[in-house]
Amino acid sequence: MSSSRRSRQASSSSRISDDQITDLISKLRQSIPEIRQNRRSNTVSASKVLQETCNYIRNLNKEADDLSDRLTQLLESIDPNSPQAAVIRSLING
Amino acid sequence: MASADKLINTYVPEKDVFALHFLQSLSNLRTQNPLNSPDKSIDRVRKIKKAAYVSMARAAGGTSRLWSRALLRRAAKDDNKSVRFSRRKRKVTWKISSKRKRSNQRAPVVEEAAERLRNLVPGGGGMETSKLMEETAHYIKCLSMQVKVMQCLVDGLSPK
Repeated sequence: MSSSRRSRQASSSSRISDDQITDLISKLRQSIPEIRQNRRSNTVSASKVLQETCNYIRNLNKEADDLSDRLTQLLESIDPNSPQAAVIRSLING
Repeated sequence: MASADKLINTYVPEKDVFALHFLQSLSNLRTQNPLNSPDKSIDRVRKIKKAAYVSMARAAGGTSRLWSRALLRRAAKDDNKSVRFSRRKRKVTWKISSKRKRSNQRAPVVEEAAERLRNLVPGGGGMETSKLMEETAHYIKCLSMQVKVMQCLVDGLSPK
């Protein structure tokens, strides 16, 4: 199951919790006003934060790609009489 | 320090809102394209991926966020449709022409990183940096929620 291994590895390492998001926001907010005054300290953390954000978004996009792939395979190959199909049917209709 | 500026609102709906929207768009796909249609596999993947992003934008508030508006607009353009925008209560003042961004009060290294971020966040191109931060925070939360939903679906469907 190489494809599931791929997505599972990515998911465990790159999930950011809500607390970290709040932290990110406060860091972003700090970096916004009057950077001139505290140029050094604020600048470094701000660009690092932005860089981390870019990487995180790229990871999420890649995960979404992988999962779309996997989902397509599963939906195509699903046996209409299997319990999985029944679950999907009930979710969609219910 | 903390001036009385508006609070950054990054409220994101619960996971089941995302799940519901996604399942609905999947079932729409199913009714439009029965399993034995001649679609190539890669087209199917693209359709599902698009359904994921569009349903995420809808779940996250539809046209009330800049990134979701941009995403829905882009998707509708692909289908040659148009998006209906609900009337906004306040005048939108964040969007500025990309040719004349507000003078770079931020350090150049920050602007450089922000530029990379603009390419990743839908609709980021016209946003001023502080607005970009706010939109990014919301976008990240929604995207991770959507990925969780898809992972659950894949886990549920995978043979034991």
